[in-house]
Amino acid sequence: MNTKKLSLLTEIGRNAILALWAIFALFPLFWMVLITFKHDAEMYTTTFIFTPTLENYKAVLINTNYFKAFFDNIIVSGGAVLVSVLVGVPAAYALARYNFKKKEDLAFQILSFKFAPEILVILPLFMIYQKIRLFDTHIGLIWVYQLITMPLLIWVVRGYFEDINVEIEHAAQLDGYSWYHVFLKILLPLIKPGLVAAALLSFIFAWNSFTFPLLLSAFKVETVTVSVLKYLASDTVHYGQMAVAASVSALPEVILALIIQKHLVRGLSFGAVKG
Amino acid sequence: MGIQTKISQPNTADTKQDKYTKIPFLVKARPYLIMAPSLLLTIGIMYPFIAAIFYSLTNYSFRSTSYKFIGLDNWIKMFTNYDFWHAVFVTGLYAISTTGTEMVIGLGIALLLSKDTRFTKILKVVLIFPLMVAPVIATLIWQLMTNNSVGIIEKFLNIFGVYNFPWSSSPKTALLTATLIDIWVYAPFVIILIVAGVQSLPKSPFEAAQVDGASAWFTFKTLKLPLLLPFMYIALIFRLMASIQEFGIIFALTKGGPGDTLMNLSISAYTKGFQFMKFGESLPYILFLWLIVNLVSKFLVGKWLLVQKQAAGH
Amino acid sequence: MNFKSGFKRLSAVAVAMSMVLSLAACGGTKEAPKAEGEQAAKTSEAAKTSETGAAKDFSWEMAKGSKVKILMAQHSIAEAMVKKIPEFEAKTGIKVEYSITPEENYFDKVTTSLNSKSGDPDIFMTGAYMLWEYAPAGFIEDLTPYLNDAKKTSAEYDVKDIYEGPLGAMRWDLVPGHAVGTGPQWGLPQAFELYSLAYNKRIFKEKGLTPPKTMDELLVLCEKLKEFGGKGTYPLAIRGSRSWGTIHPAYMSTYENYGAKDFTIENGKLVSQVNSKESVAMNEMWVKLIKTGGAPSWSSYTWYQAGADLGAGKAAMLWDADNNGIQQNWPGASKEAGNIAWVPQPLPQGATKNNSNLWTWGIAMNKASKNKDAAWLFMQYFTGKDYLAYGSIEGNAVDPVRASVWENPKFKEKLSKQEGYAETFKATVDNTRILFTPEPHFFEATTEWSATLQDIVAGKYKSVQEGMDALKKKTDEAVKDVEVK
Repeated sequence: MNTKKLSLLTEIGRNAILALWAIFALFPLFWMVLITFKHDAEMYTTTFIFTPTLENYKAVLINTNYFKAFFDNIIVSGGAVLVSVLVGVPAAYALARYNFKKKEDLAFQILSFKFAPEILVILPLFMIYQKIRLFDTHIGLIWVYQLITMPLLIWVVRGYFEDINVEIEHAAQLDGYSWYHVFLKILLPLIKPGLVAAALLSFIFAWNSFTFPLLLSAFKVETVTVSVLKYLASDTVHYGQMAVAASVSALPEVILALIIQKHLVRGLSFGAVKG
Repeated sequence: MGIQTKISQPNTADTKQDKYTKIPFLVKARPYLIMAPSLLLTIGIMYPFIAAIFYSLTNYSFRSTSYKFIGLDNWIKMFTNYDFWHAVFVTGLYAISTTGTEMVIGLGIALLLSKDTRFTKILKVVLIFPLMVAPVIATLIWQLMTNNSVGIIEKFLNIFGVYNFPWSSSPKTALLTATLIDIWVYAPFVIILIVAGVQSLPKSPFEAAQVDGASAWFTFKTLKLPLLLPFMYIALIFRLMASIQEFGIIFALTKGGPGDTLMNLSISAYTKGFQFMKFGESLPYILFLWLIVNLVSKFLVGKWLLVQKQAAGH
Repeated sequence: MNFKSGFKRLSAVAVAMSMVLSLAACGGTKEAPKAEGEQAAKTSEAAKTSETGAAKDFSWEMAKGSKVKILMAQHSIAEAMVKKIPEFEAKTGIKVEYSITPEENYFDKVTTSLNSKSGDPDIFMTGAYMLWEYAPAGFIEDLTPYLNDAKKTSAEYDVKDIYEGPLGAMRWDLVPGHAVGTGPQWGLPQAFELYSLAYNKRIFKEKGLTPPKTMDELLVLCEKLKEFGGKGTYPLAIRGSRSWGTIHPAYMSTYENYGAKDFTIENGKLVSQVNSKESVAMNEMWVKLIKTGGAPSWSSYTWYQAGADLGAGKAAMLWDADNNGIQQNWPGASKEAGNIAWVPQPLPQGATKNNSNLWTWGIAMNKASKNKDAAWLFMQYFTGKDYLAYGSIEGNAVDPVRASVWENPKFKEKLSKQEGYAETFKATVDNTRILFTPEPHFFEATTEWSATLQDIVAGKYKSVQEGMDALKKKTDEAVKDVEVK
């Protein structure tokens, strides 16, 4: 009886704390979506009760080149992840399979790129990009995004390669498969969960990047994170439009997160959770 | 003799390894060759670091096309400046207060989520949504919500008789406000990481402990925690490294104010370099920051690899 | 080919040569000499073509087929320009590419772009203070020769139609410490603002109050209007964020009206005067105003929050740019739209002259631009009479910098519902000018200034004097490399 009561109490306590946390975590998002329907004039005078309007959506999605920024963002983020996969998977393989001088140092150095202060990278890079004409190009951004996407990918995929028994490769080799067959037919399916996880997580990080696209592009390429802030003009503030731009820009990530929720956890745990 | 051994050694090693441990199509240079493209891509971008060290020894400024070598002047100026040490203090305080709270909350919520119910299943999905909002935008939303005249949170606090809570506008509550936003943005990251850890826990040791009648606290301390440690380390590394360099949230919130309350190293460097256009003078700040980040992360990554081995039972 | 053009080319080459030499000598960026050389060659080329076409008069089609790039900050001025770009393209045969950046980071982008000397962008939006950094660095083209060249500037342009306040703000002889208004023209203004007191006449009527004329009256009003409409409402909206934006509007105007100066020149050096007797008196008053009447979270207030609070009826008065309040007063723009009226700034006891600082948005040309003639046509078009009338009447770009726009019946009609706006403008504009001493560390000095003001209000210093003494030290340190020749 007593223990039953106690466990009921803990159950209530547990759910109460979780509910409180959920309110804290989700209310701002709810608020953000709510104000997308609010007219600028009502932004400061109403809370929950107001006349909903679709004007903000019209202003952002139809009257500006928001979708161009949206697709630019897909190109640069997607492109960056693709390059990271093509180049990073072999590197991860090398780090997993071979013992060579300074291996761990090298592996750490790759990881440390993820922690590099962006401001430090940007300025010299800006000058170089102007010289070699990579400024304001998709390729330029894809390249610099490697700092965001590659370290994560290499570290996650490396963990997966390490878990694959060498004998499997070896046996296939003896059966006369060429190395790329071994890679495509045997290794790739085994690392796929980690690869998908890391690629998707990298995509999210690249998607949210702000400083790089702000300063390394101008006329031709514009990403959606930069364009979101444009609704706070210097003379008029359009919180509603900003909220529309922010909400729409979060959509692909939310959809991805819902589809690949399990993978996301793997990516974030750096491959420690294989599942 | 010497030459002979040198030649013969790799040969024997190769034949031995080829058969058992190494894949036959390999030669020694191969790992480097395979890695070369990735290194070129990233190191090509790392050239700026070297350039930054060089420019930190000059009076380079956007204001002028020429510059001259001034030795360690910028570095000396930084180390003798009170504002620099204040920035170091703020950087540390911010990193510790945000990362510390996020770790505690992350662990707590993750453990509460470990019981599978319909409620927790839904929560595990929706709780990561804040990660999808860029931090700068999250800050703007929070600013709107905490606005004294019109913010929804102000209205909420009014119910309890609290009026005009100062939030980011008072030196006393600015750090609290920034920490709150940081927690909102990044605690989900810690939570899902530790949830992942909890889910990967093996069942058998816990069943055995239950049979032995071990107390819940004892089980947690001696069994659960060591197994969760690798996950917590990953969360710690990522959060600490990012919060030491935090820029977006603080800049969008107060630009480092009120006064110098939230002036950390990143904001100081940005303000000096871009807004005051003293590029050479700002570089030591950011190189110092980079050095700290590198040292701390190297230490923590080493620790992580160690606890991972321990948790795996090696 | 006559003697004059030959000389022009010769001098261009000489300039290029000396630039190459001087740059090589000081070991600057390696790329720069080449770019400069190319640029000089281009200029001489341009000089030649303009000479051969000497018989022809000004033509809007003189740069047909070329392309210009313009960098803009997010602002209603930019929006108005974007709308008229197709018309400009049709008229001139010039192709325009533009990029709009959030204002918060806009000047970071301008700075890095100019510094790269790549020639991109050809034109950029700018304020006057930024020119104090860009012009001495050699990033900006001097527009005086263009303005004086009848072949390049349309006879209808009429530069004298532009108010001297904003136009002079973009003129400077590059000597730190010398006031603006003389020397080369570095940019052309499109719109500007001066500072006045906007108030909510509905609230004033309900409470039976009249707008203040002096600082003391304002302080009394602040006392009376405390929480005039319940919790969360307050008397006076002023900016307070940690930014130069806090210093240059009402604060600097009042600073001048108290007779305080930012710098004096002593032995060829700039010496900060922020701790002078006048300054301390002014700051004591200012801090009192903020503590009695300011928003509870004053230190986070920028243009947005200050204006929005007036519009939402949370603040009874707004002491800021005149065009901040007007954005809230256009029909339907805010809750209090239609209730806002303007009076000139309150003055300290005994002061008679209402000095106002100013801010102006304008456009300037990149010196490294490779399409200067096309860029000049763009600037001419977008600071010309027709366009500026359009921007102010159809768009909401206020205040117009051209006197002719203020006389335009349509514009008068538009302002007729803005009580006291035009009157306050006319009463202030003649004493409106840049009140800061031009010097290249403007942003550092004023940002630190705002931080000190925040610290004083937060009670970090024992007295205003102590805070201003500390600020003087910081400011002197910041400007110590400036030499006034």
